[in-house]
Amino acid sequence: MSASGPVSDQDLMRYLDGELPPAERARVDVALDESGELREQLETFRSLRAGFHDLTFSPAGSDRSVWDRVAARVFRSSARLFIGIGVGLWLAYAAYELSTGRIDAWTRVTVGGFAIAVLVLFALVIRDRYRTWSDDV
Amino acid sequence: MQPELERELIRKCRAGDPRFYEPLVRAYEPAGLRLSIAMMGNAEDAEDALQEAFVKTYDSLHRFDLRKPFGPWFFQILRNQCRDMLRSRKAKFRVESLDERLESRPADPEDGPERARQRNAARELLWAGLERIGDEHREVLVLKELQGFRYAEIAQILEIPEGTVASRLFHARQALQTALEELGVEGP
Repeated sequence: MSASGPVSDQDLMRYLDGELPPAERARVDVALDESGELREQLETFRSLRAGFHDLTFSPAGSDRSVWDRVAARVFRSSARLFIGIGVGLWLAYAAYELSTGRIDAWTRVTVGGFAIAVLVLFALVIRDRYRTWSDDV
Repeated sequence: MQPELERELIRKCRAGDPRFYEPLVRAYEPAGLRLSIAMMGNAEDAEDALQEAFVKTYDSLHRFDLRKPFGPWFFQILRNQCRDMLRSRKAKFRVESLDERLESRPADPEDGPERARQRNAARELLWAGLERIGDEHREVLVLKELQGFRYAEIAQILEIPEGTVASRLFHARQALQTALEELGVEGP
């Protein structure tokens, strides 16, 4: 143990990475002067750090962007939202018209059938999405 | 990118215009790709994870606190995405050949072929060492050594206290040193 106080593993890492305030840094400097073992440990970590300087983690020739694929997804979700709102409003209006009975029977059957078809279509899409999501998890 | 510009772009995206998301994606893509390649081990899975993270980030923009920086928040989502993919059966940490995966920093023109070979061999060994340590150790090393984040930023991304970052870095470096020794690399 150093006269300047023990240097913990965390202190050593902060010292190495330049994250210690000056007063704490001076304390570790004193401890390093006094302990060859600590100096050796620090040197090992410094050497490891140097090895990273030659590395970048980019794929060679990575000039293509993921933006196109991201854009396809975010624009699609915005479009889905607007379509969903539109269909919802239309269904609400149709339900209102049907319930007030101001339209004739044939129109009711047509609108009702169309509304059911839209709801079935939505249910199928949701089921399909759920299956894909389940496969992913 | 300037924080004020980032905030403005996020506000416009929140208002429902995805076109303003493009500058954010392009600004964070290079660093995001470095992180995801280092975590996934290959470019194909890394790009999938990055794309998914950008989409999830867009979908969560309404929850983003505009007083905070965007970068660490995005990298947190990306890191979680990578970990989810590694946990799932769809992707495992899988390493490609070095040429496909990595590029070295520009070589010193005065370096001869022998020096270049030594550098390549050292990079291969370091990568092999990184493969041998756990995901938790690898991610903290990548965030520190390759992304150059400060402890406070790493703490935010990994959702751990700063003290734990220092401690985890210590154990990660020790683990990497041990792995390199097992691969026949001598100490300093």
